[in-house]
Amino acid sequence: MKYYLLPFKFTRIGDHEVFVNEVGDMLHAPIGTAEQIVNRTIEDPELYKSLVANFFISEIRIPALLDVYAERLAEKKRFLDDYTALHIFVLTLRCNQNCIYCQASSRDEHCAASSMSRENMRLAVQHMFKSRSQYLTMEFQGGEPSLEHDLFLYGIELAEEINQTEHRHLTYVLCTNSINLTDEVMATCKQYNVLISTSLDGPSWLHNQNRGKQDSYEKVVKGITKAREILGADRVSALMTASELSLNYPIEIVDEYHKLGFTSIFLRALNPYGKATDNADWEAYTNRFIEFYKQAFEHIIELNKQGHVMIEEYAAIILRKLLTPWCTGFVDLQSPAGIVNSVLIYNYDGYMYASDESRMLAEENDFTFQIGKLSESYENLVYSPKVKEWSKVWNNEAIAGCSDCALQAYCGADPVRNHSTQGDLYGFRPTSLFCKKNKAIIEYIISCVIDRYDELMPIFRNWIR
Amino acid sequence: MKQRPLDIHSNDNTLFTTEQCNNHCIMCCQPPRKIDDIDHYYQQNIKRVLSAPKDLPLIALTGGEPTLMGDKLFSLIRLIREQLPNTEIHILSNGRKFADPEYAKALKLAGDNKVMVGVPLHSDYEKDHDIIAGSKGAYNETILGLYNLAMQGIAIELRIVMNKLNYMRLPQMATFIHKNLSFVTWTAFMGMERVGFADTKSTHIWIEPIEYIPQLCQAVQLLDDFRHEVVIFNIPLCLLPEQYHPFAEKSISDWKNKYTDCCEQCRLKEQCCGFFATSTQLYTGIKPY
Repeated sequence: MKYYLLPFKFTRIGDHEVFVNEVGDMLHAPIGTAEQIVNRTIEDPELYKSLVANFFISEIRIPALLDVYAERLAEKKRFLDDYTALHIFVLTLRCNQNCIYCQASSRDEHCAASSMSRENMRLAVQHMFKSRSQYLTMEFQGGEPSLEHDLFLYGIELAEEINQTEHRHLTYVLCTNSINLTDEVMATCKQYNVLISTSLDGPSWLHNQNRGKQDSYEKVVKGITKAREILGADRVSALMTASELSLNYPIEIVDEYHKLGFTSIFLRALNPYGKATDNADWEAYTNRFIEFYKQAFEHIIELNKQGHVMIEEYAAIILRKLLTPWCTGFVDLQSPAGIVNSVLIYNYDGYMYASDESRMLAEENDFTFQIGKLSESYENLVYSPKVKEWSKVWNNEAIAGCSDCALQAYCGADPVRNHSTQGDLYGFRPTSLFCKKNKAIIEYIISCVIDRYDELMPIFRNWIR
Repeated sequence: MKQRPLDIHSNDNTLFTTEQCNNHCIMCCQPPRKIDDIDHYYQQNIKRVLSAPKDLPLIALTGGEPTLMGDKLFSLIRLIREQLPNTEIHILSNGRKFADPEYAKALKLAGDNKVMVGVPLHSDYEKDHDIIAGSKGAYNETILGLYNLAMQGIAIELRIVMNKLNYMRLPQMATFIHKNLSFVTWTAFMGMERVGFADTKSTHIWIEPIEYIPQLCQAVQLLDDFRHEVVIFNIPLCLLPEQYHPFAEKSISDWKNKYTDCCEQCRLKEQCCGFFATSTQLYTGIKPY
């Protein structure tokens, strides 16, 4: 047997060896196959044909269809051509909640400072239109951005005005706890077709405990109901964040989402920023989160089998990467990393930051990922020496511990997380909890696809549509 | 070869362009001949287009391999567009000539959005495809041709003719299409017409549909799972599990379509493709619903 090896990676998952090529196509085979491939002793002729057809090995040194493979890779990295699509506007740090895990260092709603000036809003919106992306998402965050209604409306009006000549596809998202959805806020959302992204942690007792308030749940549910009535059910989605307490209640949390009529849930781990850093033992938390994820995931599968629509969004992202040839746009799992390439932050303090987490670090006086003042030119900000420095470590194809990882095509690079948890941008994968968590969950999803294909594919096909 | 007159009531209006082909497919129902016939058919087809009913919905260019006409293909298409501006043009080609991006571009210029190219793919594995196509190098040119057609935004019908040499890899082919050819407008899995090579060399090529139904269904399911358009041609409904009936089309041209005696008692006869009148034998496993 004579053939040439093309770049691919492999790992062992359960009873299988899993092979992944450069564009994320996956094949699986019995243990020992990798050795056969390398030694040119492949026994299964159909596997041999699949390896050739799918660019794992080549019968000539340079595959005749290399351009096809190149086009496939270009499609997977299409988000780079599109340039920054997600633009986060942090209107204020003022907040009307007091969540135990707050990652954004929110302040009391009655304090005067900590909101974005109109001048900075104007500069920020102008920067956003410098991105050549045809699709721009303007996401309003806080603190609680609904407390700054006039500024929120001002930002949208500026964007609408500029867009009269720019003709981009604009999407507005208000990230709100839904407690302050006043008629005024709702009128703006209705007028400009704003999506509501809210936050709900589970049943009332759990949610209220996480929020540090007695009646938060009731108010949130009331807000969700009001938003759905005015904007339509499909315009309101919710996110959960798993506090340490939440980890004991995967079933209850999923059931709560189902009960409230949500058709998707994003099982999200805490990130080590803001108040959340007080969390005692991150390693223990990560291990428990992985178990929590699996239990919640299986419960979601059960709901689907009973005929209910419920999508687990993290799994849906991994499945798209795993099973489709298309590019996915989730900023936390990109390579090159989501920072700058896919997301920019315009903070209330008048500075541009590299990501949502970057501005959270700034609240702890760590300004590593502060790009510069909004009054500077877009070019000086986005092509600054700082950003160029980050670009050396934002490809997981090129950093140790990721470059030879079989799951690389499904994962991403996160220099911000490396810096905040390990003290350097490059990071060290063997002790990285980001790595541990993603690896465990991605492997779990791969094993679902391999071992339970007929059972789960009818469900997964609806998740990735 | 005598051409049938263009008929507004027929579902099969064809311009036969040449008997020559640069492939030599082992199951070809119309085995190619090396004769210098391009000008002859070209002149004949010009007259046929000029006298065609103006509201003909669809006209098919077939052969042999129509792209062997070279630039005459584009003159013929321009004439059709001029004479029959509302008629869709379907070209049945092995796609190899489109490996030249300029040729694909010229097709787009001539046919614009009225043209669709039907291209057979025999396997996801190069050597299997080349064996079935009877020509070394066919696979690579066809795949590049498909990409060049897609780059021009030309609609593509991918055709998988199921035979003894490729049925085992139908599911793998579906994955390959999903991953590498996701731009095709639809994929058609086609039962063989038992005539020409498919009949004379039947021991190597022929396989009863009933034997490949599991692989076919798996392949159709996979493409449908990922929301690709997929159809089944030339397989009677009684051979398909009911959940796959929605994919089956009445695909056999009216002039060579027939039903058997047992079809007379079948309640699905009206929806069913039936059989090729041209086939030398019926499929096994036929039973009325």
